[in-house]
Amino acid sequence: MSRYELLSPEGLRIDGRRWNELRRISAQMSTQSAADGSSYLEQGNTKIICTVIGPAEKGSGGAGGAGSGGGGSGKGGEGDASVIFEVNYAAFSGTERKKRGRGDKRVAEMQSALQRTFASVILTHLFPRSEIMITIHILSQDGSVLATCINATTLALIDAGIPLYDYVTACTAGSSSTYMANEENADPMLDLNAIEEGDLPCLTLATVGGGERIALCNMENKVQLNRLEGMIAVAVGGCAELRGVLDRVVRRWGTEVLKRRGVESERVGE
Amino acid sequence: MSSLKRPLFNGSTSTTTNISSKVFVRSGKGKCQKIVRELYLRQDIPCSSKLCSPCTFNAPTDASGKVQNFVLSERPAGTSAYPNGHYLIPDTNIFLYCMDVIEHESAFHDVIVLQTVLEEVRNRSLPLYSRLRVLTKSDEKRFYVFHNEFRQETYVKRLQGEIINDRNDRAVRKACSWYKSHLASALASTSNKLPEIVMLSDDKGNLEKAKSEGITCCNIREYVQGLKNADELLDMISAAVEDQDSKLMKGEMLYPEYYSISKMMTGVKASTLHQGTFNVSPYNFLEGSVTTTAFDRALLVLGRENINRAVQGDQVVVEILPKDQWKQPSTKIVDEETLTKNDNPDLDEPEAIETEQERKALIEEAKKSQGLSFETRPQPTARVVGIVKRNWRYYVGHVDPSSVSSGRGRGQQTVFLLPMDKRIPKIRIRTRQAAALLGKRVVVSIDTWDRASRYPVGHFVRSLGEVETKEAETEALLLEWDVQYRPFPKAVLDCLPKEGHDWKVPEDKQDPLWKGRKDYRDLLICSIDPPGCQDIDDALHALVLPNGNYEIGVHIADVTHFVKPDNPMDHEAIARGTTVYLVDKRIDMLPMLLGTDLCSLKPYVDRFAFSCIWELDQDANILSVNFSKSAIRSREAFSYEQAQIRIDDNSFQDELTKGMRVLLMLSKKLKQKRMDAGALNLASPEVKVRTESETSDPVDVETKQLRETNSLVEEFMLLANISVARKIYEVFPQTAMLRRHGAPPAANFEELQNQLKVRKGMNLRVESSRTLADSLDTCVDPNEPFFNTLVRIVATRCMLAAEYFCSGTQAYPEFRHYGLASEIYTHFTSPIRRYADVVAHRQLAAAIEYEQLDSSLHSKGKLEAICKNINIRHRNAQFAGRASVEYYVGQALKNRETEEEGFVMRIFSNGFVVFVPRFGIEGLIRTKEFEGVQEQDVSYDAENYVLTVESGKKKWQIGLFDKLAVRVRNVKEESTGKRKIMLGLVKTGEK
Repeated sequence: MSRYELLSPEGLRIDGRRWNELRRISAQMSTQSAADGSSYLEQGNTKIICTVIGPAEKGSGGAGGAGSGGGGSGKGGEGDASVIFEVNYAAFSGTERKKRGRGDKRVAEMQSALQRTFASVILTHLFPRSEIMITIHILSQDGSVLATCINATTLALIDAGIPLYDYVTACTAGSSSTYMANEENADPMLDLNAIEEGDLPCLTLATVGGGERIALCNMENKVQLNRLEGMIAVAVGGCAELRGVLDRVVRRWGTEVLKRRGVESERVGE
Repeated sequence: MSSLKRPLFNGSTSTTTNISSKVFVRSGKGKCQKIVRELYLRQDIPCSSKLCSPCTFNAPTDASGKVQNFVLSERPAGTSAYPNGHYLIPDTNIFLYCMDVIEHESAFHDVIVLQTVLEEVRNRSLPLYSRLRVLTKSDEKRFYVFHNEFRQETYVKRLQGEIINDRNDRAVRKACSWYKSHLASALASTSNKLPEIVMLSDDKGNLEKAKSEGITCCNIREYVQGLKNADELLDMISAAVEDQDSKLMKGEMLYPEYYSISKMMTGVKASTLHQGTFNVSPYNFLEGSVTTTAFDRALLVLGRENINRAVQGDQVVVEILPKDQWKQPSTKIVDEETLTKNDNPDLDEPEAIETEQERKALIEEAKKSQGLSFETRPQPTARVVGIVKRNWRYYVGHVDPSSVSSGRGRGQQTVFLLPMDKRIPKIRIRTRQAAALLGKRVVVSIDTWDRASRYPVGHFVRSLGEVETKEAETEALLLEWDVQYRPFPKAVLDCLPKEGHDWKVPEDKQDPLWKGRKDYRDLLICSIDPPGCQDIDDALHALVLPNGNYEIGVHIADVTHFVKPDNPMDHEAIARGTTVYLVDKRIDMLPMLLGTDLCSLKPYVDRFAFSCIWELDQDANILSVNFSKSAIRSREAFSYEQAQIRIDDNSFQDELTKGMRVLLMLSKKLKQKRMDAGALNLASPEVKVRTESETSDPVDVETKQLRETNSLVEEFMLLANISVARKIYEVFPQTAMLRRHGAPPAANFEELQNQLKVRKGMNLRVESSRTLADSLDTCVDPNEPFFNTLVRIVATRCMLAAEYFCSGTQAYPEFRHYGLASEIYTHFTSPIRRYADVVAHRQLAAAIEYEQLDSSLHSKGKLEAICKNINIRHRNAQFAGRASVEYYVGQALKNRETEEEGFVMRIFSNGFVVFVPRFGIEGLIRTKEFEGVQEQDVSYDAENYVLTVESGKKKWQIGLFDKLAVRVRNVKEESTGKRKIMLGLVKTGEK
């Protein structure tokens, strides 16, 4: 038996949520004025800063992130912009202080997953021979880190004014059934925190525009096939909800920007 | 599936307060970690009272859209104090100490279990937690788990400087007052009576605070006194509850205090202290032993003070005593009952930790250990300094009549309970029904064992009935060995096929059940089992192939076709682990319908099977093996005897009999090969009780006869098990369910080796199973054919128990089965009666790609848990079976006195153990039972294992392994009402 009861028979999770509830989300945009676009996103206790530089001329700046040059090669040939990700785990982000070096395989894998996801959504053909540098700082991790990275990147890209087909939103889903072996049809669970992620099979799913177009689907555990369907359904639903949340954030921020330039916007309006 | 979304922030009202965080420090692996966890407070957690309409209206749903039923009834039961009915809210200690009374069916309904309390119970004791969870699932008891920590109104933040217990008490009180006001407002507009919310606690401070806050509350005794059958219920309340006050008053402490946990843990890490399981010697209750990893011999723990309140089976930490205090294991039989007969169960008078008699017994021991020789070298001796984990369970016994005072009528008094298990000390219980309990089998549980009390203190759980009635004794035995014997619950029976006994192998080969299944119904298959066997697991066939080789098939009942993983039936089977065979009763692992009908490979009907078919050459070498699910039709179900007769009788020349002759011929070759590889031929005293068919009263005892056909079946089962083990290990190297038998450490045999050398001049070599097997063959006394069996019995006891394990947990060389001399082994052939076989079936089915393997069998952790459980169940089942035989042998000998031959198996300085092969029993004979013998007449020569008793003209000399004539009778002890087999010496050996 596990140390924790991840889903009580009464249907409550370890932090008081029910199976289909997201964690608290708070987001800010344009937090780093020096960057072309930036965002700060909290999903529960997972906290991430994302900055975007570019589109800029290729080779400029000291960018040495992994996956460089690979971006955009999928479509349209050499002329497209490449998307470069650099992910950084703060040493203090987990429960134990732990520094991740440059060559960390997990980080490299994450970078490449992010890069592949966004290369298909950014309209890279509009920026030939240029590159878009995205730097992610993970300040605090409490589960669903990859999903939160995707959401933060979406916000930062919008802030930078880089054209996307639509919002890319991601969330995780798990299945409590392998844990609760005595439950016949155990519930899938949405948006896992660190404890749940450690004990349950965990699926990270990203969709474009909150619909059913899946941009990323990643799972590193074993799970029974019949449970996967429920997990995907829940995750797709979660992504749709997240799109709404991010959209509200963008609109709120947009009106704020307009308000700040109050007079101009009025004049434009006329 | 549509997933429904609920906004976290409903409007602006709750944005500020509905989230909190929980920060705590966790230490593990020597590190301290600060953990921050979110906590979402919500308002949609229902109160679950059927009276409350707002909650019913807002009830949340789960993933499949179902609303959880409301639990607490509209018209809860009232008591004298709460005529309007009441809901109970107990605090943690009530559950920890009074679970037995809470589980009682006549009381404690409509209980609200707070999350705070539930979590505390879980942290303190997992078994109690699971019992509580069972209660919350039961429809009759109406227990509701209220997640007060997640409900906004009842969440309590820990204050600066507040200790966690106070905070939890405050949370309980807050939940009580919330329930009260919540129900009051919900019922304000209706005419329903408002049930009282009653907080149960035994903490005085908490009760006072609750009163001042206007919460109705009381302690458990007051509450129970208001119930109908208060007397019985009061007895079931744990003594620990009351002890809290009295503990402080008592001055004198009898036992040394335990070390603190941190001190023990650092000591164990630094190897100054040692941890292990505490075992009490069955012959001397003052001698215990602890097996630790650091020493190859068990550490000795002698005397009450050194044993320091450890009870059989506890996980203890011990400290080695200085070398000059080392002792040797006792050569004396010490019985608790006889030594401490006159103890007063009441606590009033001051007690000494060791009574005078006990001390005398020990001093003699100490004197003896002075004389040093090889054999009598003192062993490392230790004392218990702390208990890591108690292994207390329910104990069955009877009330010591001498401790009951008849004058007191129905008043409360303290009595002793003498457990059936000799290794458990007497238990002091307080009861109001002492007179009624006399002569009954009683179940009790131990609550505490204080430093100030010589004996553990417990409480009454229930009475099983008159001592010596068949029902009471059988139930007692099942309880003692923790055998799950209740009828199968409905949920399990619901998993059976709907057709019931009419289930048939489908005619139509296109039926999905036939997918991947071979049709072997035209093969000439038969089964050979003990007479009257109903659950036929296995059947066999043999064919001569055109190339001169043989095709041999072993067909095993296809249990996994009916028992699907992860359903209630599977869970029940895991919990039971094995079928338990008692003399007159069988406690099934699977419901009857499967075990004796649908799975059982009965003759003349089609049955599903799992077949294992080999091609063997003339010398019984395996050329190929093939596993498949199949359907078969057994032609005949033979008993061992019938099969033997048919094989031997040359007038039978049909194909079936010819096949059986082939089987027999090959089985002999297989056996020879196994023996050549060093397989052991062990012996255990097995007898069979013959019962009258009508009343099933025991009539006679006979020893089991072994025929060639027994070994025929056995050989092919071994072959199948080994083949399957290889296959599943090949496909699932990490998670195969296997069985191993570790090589016993040479030290285990030391005593036997020495005894054989001294008494018989024989040499036992134990370097490997091969040498052991060979040297056991040489241990023959030409005058005494039974002597070899006796040695084998003793040698068997020196070995380790075989165990199930998951292949990923051991290195390959450790897989070895010592007794069978096989590299790898599993159990596959009896899925009706063993759960391990069910697992092996599922794994094999996945290995031959018949079906997908259930996820639970992919997980090493889960398999390990299953292995652990079935290992325990398997052992308990064996013990229970033996105890049952013993009981029936006793009954068969009732009112009868016979003279039998017996052999001395063990020898002590004041008695010896005699084994009577005819009945398969062993018993003690004490020298003081000899006519006119005083203690000084007895002299014991420990080096030569000879006990000499001289009294006047008479002289007895008893040596180890001697053949004796003994009188066997069954006596009822007047004082205790207990019946036991008594042996009396009639004649010593010829010499």
